[in-house]
Amino acid sequence: MANWGMVIDLDKCVGCQACSLACKAENNVPHGSPYEQKRHHDMYWHKVIAATEGEYPAVNTQIIPMPCMHCDHPPCVNVCPSKATFKRGDGIIVQNFRRCLGCRYCIVACPYGARNFNFKDQEDKEYKRPDLPPDMDLSFVGNMGPWPYPRRTRGVVEKCTYCFHRIDQALERGWEVGSKLDGEHGVLPACVEACPTEARYFGDLDDPESAVSRLMASRTHFKLREEMHTSPKTIYLPR
Amino acid sequence: MSQAATEKPDNPEPKRSSGFRISRRAFLGVSAAAAAVLTVVLALKRPKLAEPVETQATKAIDTQEYIATSCLNCPTRCAIRVRKVQTTAGQTKVVKILGNPASTYSEGKCCSRSHVGLQVLYNPDRFETPLIRTSGDKGRAVNFETDFRVASWEEALQAVAARLTHPDRLLLFQGLNTTSNADLIRQFALACGTPNLFVEEGLETDADHEGKMLADGRSDSGYELMSEDGTSTKYILAFSSGIVESERPLARNLRLWGKLRRELPNKTRVVSLDPRYSVTASRADEWVPVNPGSEGAVAMAMAHVIVSEGLYDSDFINHHTEGFSKYRTVVMTQRFSPESVSGISGVAADAIRRIAREFAQSKPAIAWSGEAATSLTYGTFASHAIYCLNALVGSIDVPGGIVYQQYPLYAAMPAEGLPITETGISFRRMVELLRDGAIDAAIGFNSNLIMSVPESKEDGRWDSILKREGFFYVHVGPAKSEMAAYADVILPACTYLEEWGYESAIPGSGYAEARIKQPVVEPFNESRPAARIVFDLAGTLGKRDFFLPEASGISGDSGAFAEQFAAYRTSPFVGWPDFRSVGVWRGGHYSYRNYAFGTASGKFEFHSDHMERLLNVGRPGDSSVYPLRLAIYRPVLEIKSSGQNFPWAQEIYLVMHGRGWKNLVEINRETAHRYGIGEGNKVIVESVHGEIEGEARVLEGMRPGVVAIATGQGHYASGRFADGMGVNPNDVIGTEYDEESGQPSFFNTRVKVRKA
Repeated sequence: MANWGMVIDLDKCVGCQACSLACKAENNVPHGSPYEQKRHHDMYWHKVIAATEGEYPAVNTQIIPMPCMHCDHPPCVNVCPSKATFKRGDGIIVQNFRRCLGCRYCIVACPYGARNFNFKDQEDKEYKRPDLPPDMDLSFVGNMGPWPYPRRTRGVVEKCTYCFHRIDQALERGWEVGSKLDGEHGVLPACVEACPTEARYFGDLDDPESAVSRLMASRTHFKLREEMHTSPKTIYLPR
Repeated sequence: MSQAATEKPDNPEPKRSSGFRISRRAFLGVSAAAAAVLTVVLALKRPKLAEPVETQATKAIDTQEYIATSCLNCPTRCAIRVRKVQTTAGQTKVVKILGNPASTYSEGKCCSRSHVGLQVLYNPDRFETPLIRTSGDKGRAVNFETDFRVASWEEALQAVAARLTHPDRLLLFQGLNTTSNADLIRQFALACGTPNLFVEEGLETDADHEGKMLADGRSDSGYELMSEDGTSTKYILAFSSGIVESERPLARNLRLWGKLRRELPNKTRVVSLDPRYSVTASRADEWVPVNPGSEGAVAMAMAHVIVSEGLYDSDFINHHTEGFSKYRTVVMTQRFSPESVSGISGVAADAIRRIAREFAQSKPAIAWSGEAATSLTYGTFASHAIYCLNALVGSIDVPGGIVYQQYPLYAAMPAEGLPITETGISFRRMVELLRDGAIDAAIGFNSNLIMSVPESKEDGRWDSILKREGFFYVHVGPAKSEMAAYADVILPACTYLEEWGYESAIPGSGYAEARIKQPVVEPFNESRPAARIVFDLAGTLGKRDFFLPEASGISGDSGAFAEQFAAYRTSPFVGWPDFRSVGVWRGGHYSYRNYAFGTASGKFEFHSDHMERLLNVGRPGDSSVYPLRLAIYRPVLEIKSSGQNFPWAQEIYLVMHGRGWKNLVEINRETAHRYGIGEGNKVIVESVHGEIEGEARVLEGMRPGVVAIATGQGHYASGRFADGMGVNPNDVIGTEYDEESGQPSFFNTRVKVRKA
């Protein structure tokens, strides 16, 4: 089984945030409001942060796109009392809304702020998605899967899934998955697909021939907060 | 428990339970059974970790299709594909916007603005029917629910036609429109017989274009960055230009940025001269903070270095240019030496020399003039000075340098009558017309004028002009906006995702590219395509002939007009069914080194008559009262198609500050300290034209003495997600013009900042 990972080239990234918006559209993540932003209640499965250091005129700002790091040793999974969040065989960390108690222990445990607590029911009509099955929230017993999300369940924790619905679907149908350094890409997560500078790559970290492995071999790379020994699978190429 | 069971019934202690009793043995039995059931349930419910969780991605979807059309959230107008789904329940919804791989212009990529198109389409504050004003004040006090009454299309069109009796007293504002609609609006101006067409895009670009026109006589020059055969620009000198945030063509810039920076053996070096540590500056190899408005002088100093050290491309200059000897004499004077310009610009003379040498020695290299470098009273000259650097190093009409855009050859339209250019009348001319009371009626097509001109504040010049008694304004647009707040009649137009049309690629690629616009969903409620509105209006005036060329296949049926018009216009180069399925047509390869200049001499002209103007970078006003300079900038998520009522764009508006739903008053830390301002303080920015209140952002990435505020916020009539968020910096900017082109000079205002 593949070991999915993402490589993000910080030299190519220009902070346009197409990734964040493509994620919102793909996963039907609700938008926030000024009030929610003030309280940090708004939800982003993917966000772009800017970290500035130095004094005028020697300033340096790093613009860092942040999906979930999908750690190999995920602290969120360790602390979850109800096993609502778990690591799939292919390394993707997913959240099962039906099992989630809403205790938010995982949010505290995550060193990357990749998790969101849903404080509200999704009410705006314009964001109801008729294309998605209507019965996947907590009231529905038949399905255990956390995707898709036609509407949101209040009081549970949500997070990035590397768009595993796309990957699974592609594998089911025998399509190729992952970035290519030359030629047509396979099926990609929405953020990777949307990136106008092609700063993002997705693929199998265990396959030495995949684009992600070759990029990591060709350049220095780093992971965020490596000292915490979480072994993230979202990897950055520095400028 | 057995003890309790033998208790006497007359025990005075009250019973604790209501009679439910259970033996220890039974309790254990029940517990064990419950545990067993729970285990089974949990085991059944537990997801199998090793297997992919079952997805139901397509079960609720009956059909889905990808419709090729194009974006209109900025003037780049990228080709996009729109994913539309039909559910088994019979609902239709547009759920995703992607780039169109058939477009080589931006290699099938689109920027973040494109994604917001979903919210442009499903904007909750769109107009449903034509509206006619019955009462109420225009402007800020507007209430769209009570001040207007619902009207039928026929009634509304009659009401408009009744006021269009004096064509010479009519003014047309054109905001961001589809190319085909822009063509129709120009045609409408012809039909009405008015030369007064104002194109709002020129508010940002007129001076820059004028400066380039002075040199090469062409209005279609663009920075290629990378040719089709892979020759890339090696050195980019960005003069206050936000190449990766606001400079058009944005999606192409972004895609090529990725290529130039990391996909080629040699990385392109980028140097950003900017008073503000912009996104582009932060992504560049070097940020050179420069005094605002002195970019042109720095360009001249660089020319001084290049000419004096003999680094210029003498081959190009000898054969294809005019006026170089005089230009050389001027730039070689002491005034333009790096040492003396250093005093004006704040850039060290050594740095100017080094960058000039690097620039001249890396070929091809381009010097890119941004809005902040040219929106000045001497903007045309600044633009010209920067543009001449490209000629000095021979980057004109070469792969990876400056190229001249080719356009699709559309089928002809009847065009007798007044000469009306694509860029319309200048801003200065429009102001004169309005100030002199020469205009009685105006029609705004998706206009955003009041938000994007200087002195936009309440009771300011524009407010009073648009409120004037007897001034009749018709707003044609899809959703609530500030211009609609001044309207007497509102005609609800479709968004770009509901209409027929075509788009031409803007300068950048060299080769021509046309993109289709086709409706992905039926028009919302009673809204109609702008093309049809224009055609019907012309019909009401009895001027339909201007829209019905002979043998064009346009039937004259207004419902089918928009599609037939687009099909007719594109018929010379592409078949309509092909165009609809692919979405993109591209012309032949660009041929370099044609040097087809449009100047009187037929050569690239160096002008040096007014260049000393670049050294006088002072602003009007008293520097002791207003010590700071106000700069504006346009973040990537400023959506140009209408009023920012889009929560996705709003919540991540300022990426460099991690903030949304507002803009900030950005000040250098030292400067802020001097005025006692701290991070997050409420501050008042005051100029002679008024004052605005915003939230201070104290940072290092700003030249001391500069206050920067992002545009795109400060709406008051655009709807629930835009109103009351942030401020509009144009409120305090004064109306000064670029001396040549008449563009407003947005970077010419002095301000002071104090704590609120």
